[in-house]
Amino acid sequence: MSSAQIRFITLWRREVSRFMKIKKQTLGGPLLETFLYITVFGAALGSRIKQLHGIEYILFVIPGLIMMAWATNSFTNNSSSILQQKFQGAIHDQLSSPASPLELLLAFSLGGFVRGMLVAVITFCAAALLVDLPVENIAVLIPSLFLVGFFFSQLGVLIGVRAEQFDDVAFAQTFILQPLIFLGGVFYSAALLPQPFQTLTHFNPIYYMISLVRYGFVGYSEVSIPLSLLALTAATAALFAFNLRLFSQGYKLRA
Amino acid sequence: MTRLTAMSDPALHIVDLAKRYPTGVEALKGVSIDIEPGEFYGLLGPNGAGKSTLIHCTTGLAQPTGGSIEVFGHDAIHDYGKARQAVGLAPQEINLDHFLTAEETLDFHAGYFGMPKRARRERTEELLETFSLTAKAGDRTRTLSGGMKRRLILARALMHRPRLLILDEPTAGVDIELRLELWHYVQKINQEGTTILLTTHYLEEAEQLCSKIAFIADGQIAAEGTSDNLAARFGVANLEDAYLALVGRNELSRSKIEDLAL
Repeated sequence: MSSAQIRFITLWRREVSRFMKIKKQTLGGPLLETFLYITVFGAALGSRIKQLHGIEYILFVIPGLIMMAWATNSFTNNSSSILQQKFQGAIHDQLSSPASPLELLLAFSLGGFVRGMLVAVITFCAAALLVDLPVENIAVLIPSLFLVGFFFSQLGVLIGVRAEQFDDVAFAQTFILQPLIFLGGVFYSAALLPQPFQTLTHFNPIYYMISLVRYGFVGYSEVSIPLSLLALTAATAALFAFNLRLFSQGYKLRA
Repeated sequence: MTRLTAMSDPALHIVDLAKRYPTGVEALKGVSIDIEPGEFYGLLGPNGAGKSTLIHCTTGLAQPTGGSIEVFGHDAIHDYGKARQAVGLAPQEINLDHFLTAEETLDFHAGYFGMPKRARRERTEELLETFSLTAKAGDRTRTLSGGMKRRLILARALMHRPRLLILDEPTAGVDIELRLELWHYVQKINQEGTTILLTTHYLEEAEQLCSKIAFIADGQIAAEGTSDNLAARFGVANLEDAYLALVGRNELSRSKIEDLAL
């Protein structure tokens, strides 16, 4: 293994080891939260709603929950990890190493990405035990989930780098991310909303992400799949390029 | 352009280094120094003189606004890979990761510098032993005492066997035994060939350890030489009086106070 490969793996391993050391908080908590959603919205509410667009309500909800788990965990992990390391000054150890801005950005990003993936995969496995969860379009599902995970990993890195206190991270999560996810149609179909909320939903980027993942699982979508996939790819690439520029400039990382 | 490192390349070659922070503060105003391989070089100056900024510019933690830095002939600012590989930094602040154990702190650091697993394991064991931390190997860093944390920071800086070791006030706030232990150790590795750049507020420390000393004040190098050279340059008896002359506080000179007492 080359010196650069050892360096990159170590940088990434450090990120994974952080969340694995506090599993109750980083994996256990999000899993419990997802199961509570499944119980409340799927089992309890589902017994009343029965079907949405010809799909069993619980099957309509689960894809959004899996996407939400991946997205929020990727975001939270990276924003918290970077801010904590900035506070402790421990990030100087990585910053004064020979690592390039690209290596640093990728390693920080992939820490949260893996945490999100773990929570999403466990949620999927548990959901598959409870209900007969179909996978209608794996060719759409896998790239969509990976892009969503990577997009929110990048967003977490961006917020972590910009943040100067924990309040900044909490603000982004509670007042921006959470409302966008909840109003993006995890628990309902946007087609059922009255105007102007139906139109407003179409300005929420997370609506398209949920639609892509839902299409991958149950084959139902209210939006154009190729266009949504293209837009998500472009947004993820743009965010990555923006972060790479910040890392190269040393923005809020190097004095 | 890459080039082979000549035997004669200085360990640290800084030319006209300038650093202006976005706040407008000019921390470095054209600093130039050369540290020869194997030298034990001391950098003395009052708080805010620019010592830590110079170190941060050399290690990539701050971005210079002018000038150049080379470490053993390698650019340390733009194409910094080889330069960083050659430098070990023990910073002034205790900046250990609270999530990691002492052993992981050393292992991860060496990994960032590309050391293979087996070499990392052997070096970790060796340095934990050297710094009397073996019994604490599996303990999280936040549970260690202040002295242990200070030793761990020095061990971490040494993990990847740097040719230039930068010690930013390594003995600030440590007890006498630990200070002497650290002195012995850094003297030993200096004799084995490691070049050392030391910043300190303890003049006795600089006198004991350093073969060459520079005074830095207000972002500029005010004087450079051996302890005796500096005393002669300021027309005083010793390094402490030379330093006091530099900062304009001659009235604090202990020799003058003793004279008055007589």
